Amino acid sequence: MLNLFLTAFVAGFLGAGMKRPFLFVLAYAYIDVVGPQKVTWGFLAHVPVSLIAFACAFIGWMVADNKDGARFSPRQFVLLALLIYCGITTKLADFPVEAAEKWSWVWKALIFALFLPLTLRTKLRIEALILVMVLSVGVIVIGGGIKTLASGGGGYGELKLLVNDNTGLYEGSIISAVAICIIPLALWLARYGTIFKPSWMVTLFAWGICFACILMPIGTQARTGLICVGVLGIMMLRSTKRRMTYISLVTIAGLVAMPLLPQSFTERMSTIGNHKADQSASTRLEVWKWTIDYAKTHPFGGGFDAFRQNEVVYETVKADYAGANNAVIAKDRIVEKARAYHSSYFEMLGEQGYPGLGLWLLLHLMGVLQMEVLRRRYAKNAPDGFGWVTPLADALQQAQIVYLIGGAFVGIAFQPFCYMLVGLQCGLSGYMGRIRRTVPPPFRVARKTSAPPVLEPAM
Amino acid sequence: MIDIFTVIVPHALMALAIWRLLPRDDLDQDPHLPVKADMFRQKRPLKAERAHPKPARTRDA
Repeated sequence: MLNLFLTAFVAGFLGAGMKRPFLFVLAYAYIDVVGPQKVTWGFLAHVPVSLIAFACAFIGWMVADNKDGARFSPRQFVLLALLIYCGITTKLADFPVEAAEKWSWVWKALIFALFLPLTLRTKLRIEALILVMVLSVGVIVIGGGIKTLASGGGGYGELKLLVNDNTGLYEGSIISAVAICIIPLALWLARYGTIFKPSWMVTLFAWGICFACILMPIGTQARTGLICVGVLGIMMLRSTKRRMTYISLVTIAGLVAMPLLPQSFTERMSTIGNHKADQSASTRLEVWKWTIDYAKTHPFGGGFDAFRQNEVVYETVKADYAGANNAVIAKDRIVEKARAYHSSYFEMLGEQGYPGLGLWLLLHLMGVLQMEVLRRRYAKNAPDGFGWVTPLADALQQAQIVYLIGGAFVGIAFQPFCYMLVGLQCGLSGYMGRIRRTVPPPFRVARKTSAPPVLEPAM
Repeated sequence: MIDIFTVIVPHALMALAIWRLLPRDDLDQDPHLPVKADMFRQKRPLKAERAHPKPARTRDA
């Protein structure tokens, strides 16, 4: 039944694209996030739906879309440079087969992020893409949230999401970071949406999605998610008008939630401050040290999956206290091989070297600055009909900073969802640029003179 | 049961969103941006129409 439902939905989505080609773009975004071909075992699992949707989106744009004012922004050139550079490192990779496998989906994410801003020509398109992204993530987090409420998640890596293959957005740490990213976007939709206009039902649903998103770090017991929640909480303080009310509400919510949290969650979160006792955190630190050393001899990176050659050795230290001055110290020597980076920054450094890391940082820092410029430009005295710009720039900036901070502890440097955020930012910036260019500055400004000079007629 | 619920609700909302997007003109043409194509690509009258222009309609008194 689920197979039929999803197949009919995808077919209907693509069919709607025949009437309005931009819907192909939305269909691709949906397929990329949800992965209906992973959810089903039927027809969709055997058809390259993602490729079909992208081909339709591109052909639809080429043939039927208006391209007035479409231009590449500097960020898209950075993205293009990153794409070319990654292609070169894949050719020279230390593990060519594994690198080619990762490249097979990375290039699609980068190409889509390059293409997306060209299609986001209207406010409604920007809104529609955000809506599809939020609802697509909702497909994963609503169930995850309900299961967390019902069972507390069951421990690290135990929460069963819709698809149990631990890849893409269905991986616990990644979904806990991405779920927090979409909270500001869901709140923006509830206030400024036109597809679903603001009403109590829309607000209730948006709050429900946000609640499910906050439950994801608890359910997956991913420490990254908790850090992301903290970062978003601090950033929202900046944009809220009633700061004291906000602080009071957050404090009360935290105090109410604390006793309800599962014990396994609080135990795992307590290891954030004591990495020596935790194997996972110790592994990360050792892999990061290995990556820095590796980059000294391979400054241009080792290509995708270069981590496969690492071997780290470290000791975990545990203290069992039997009294105030009586503790048994237990040390374990751990040897691990081929451990992933668990950090987007070190992922970029190890795989793409300093040039790749530089391009990636430039891409994201430009985004943070671009959104800051937009939010300030329209913060006061926004023209009629543009009151939504500052809150959207704010939401996109918050999502990106959550991604950048969460990315310090998860390898999501090439996560397609995050490149959709980049595409959205470029699209918003390009759209506002076109709006500004349609209001040309006055050709000649009248001088302020007290009285025109009186010329005497020549006799 | 939970998995079915988590699939059905967002998909139903997405289907409704698509349904609402289909008739909207501002999906392809933003109301705040000028329609450049119309400025430069105005339909030229046919040769026969140029030779025998239709008289302008006047309202009867």
